[in-house]
Amino acid sequence: MTDPYDILGVARSASNDEIRKAYRSLAKRLHPDLNPGDPTAEEKFKQITGAYDLIGDPEKRKRFDAGEIDEEGRERPPQWDDRSYYRDYADSGSSGYGESQGYGDFGNEDDFLAEFLRRNAQARANRPGEDLHYRLGVTLAEAIKGGQKRITMPGGSVLDVTIPAGITDGKMLRLARKGTAGAGTGSPGDALIEIEVLPDARFSQEGSDLTMDVAISISEAVRGGKIRVPTPTGTVEMTIPARSSSGTKLRLRGQGAPMGGGKRGDEFVRLSIVLPKEPDPALEEFVERWESGKAHNPREVTS
Amino acid sequence: MTLEEFSTQFGIEMGTLRLWIEKRWVIAESGTLREIDVARARLVRDMQIDLGVNDEGVDIALHLIDQIHDLHRAMAELQQKLKL
Repeated sequence: MTDPYDILGVARSASNDEIRKAYRSLAKRLHPDLNPGDPTAEEKFKQITGAYDLIGDPEKRKRFDAGEIDEEGRERPPQWDDRSYYRDYADSGSSGYGESQGYGDFGNEDDFLAEFLRRNAQARANRPGEDLHYRLGVTLAEAIKGGQKRITMPGGSVLDVTIPAGITDGKMLRLARKGTAGAGTGSPGDALIEIEVLPDARFSQEGSDLTMDVAISISEAVRGGKIRVPTPTGTVEMTIPARSSSGTKLRLRGQGAPMGGGKRGDEFVRLSIVLPKEPDPALEEFVERWESGKAHNPREVTS
Repeated sequence: MTLEEFSTQFGIEMGTLRLWIEKRWVIAESGTLREIDVARARLVRDMQIDLGVNDEGVDIALHLIDQIHDLHRAMAELQQKLKL
């Protein structure tokens, strides 16, 4: 048995009133009938009651302080000897208390409750596994064409992921039952794969539209012609109109990035006239003799 | 146990005890207390004398305690049904 002052949490110099207050606040929390669901409450309550019996009574406290009686040797009033509490009887059946109000009608709905509790217990025993999350980067070409990808999930399992054609950035793929295993008969969780479409460095991208600079020769610029230009998934043939200038933007409809719903944005080809690297005497001689060319000032606004 | 016996043993005046019975805190069929009634009367005594709970407080506490035990009983019945 520990010191009764320690049990009640009061100083040895505490007044009788302080001791009574300390006991009351502990007893309110620990009285077994105010804690019907706590089996340890009775033992704790006995301890504080025993301590209070001793130092809560000024006469006994004096004798205890003087060492005339110890914690064990004191007499205890009969009502604290192995008493039974109301809670020991209250659960056992028709006692005349409670019942008529509150949850008196509880039993009428027990079919529903029984079902609820049964499902609850079953759900706990057979709960489904957790979903696994993963981020998967795909190239722009893969996003357009779709395809297969093999990935290693955080748990170490290997998954083959089918990427649908035309997928867009941020889309979530759900692979049913590829997450962590469930408990009991619980189904496994899903693998959730968030798609990140990686930009294609050859293009500048704005939304689902792509832009690319393509070099053309003077000859192509003057006479026009067909050239092959890259797209995200390959190359296509494109017609350059005669008399094209640098900076002219030509549209390749539907060759941009996926925009959802099976549609694609456009690719824009921006022409850039490039002169031959080596000096070309014939070209220089022509330009020297090209009078109307010398007279043309492209910086003048013409209507 | 008779009311007189309880009164003597636990130091509760007969008038107070009758008040408890009137308030339906304690049942005393034909002037006697069953074990459960003694236990309940002692709970009332603890609350009023040791814990300093006033009449209203005792009323509320008993009402809530009754509901907890009714729930316990209902749960026990359900558990019993689930075992079958």
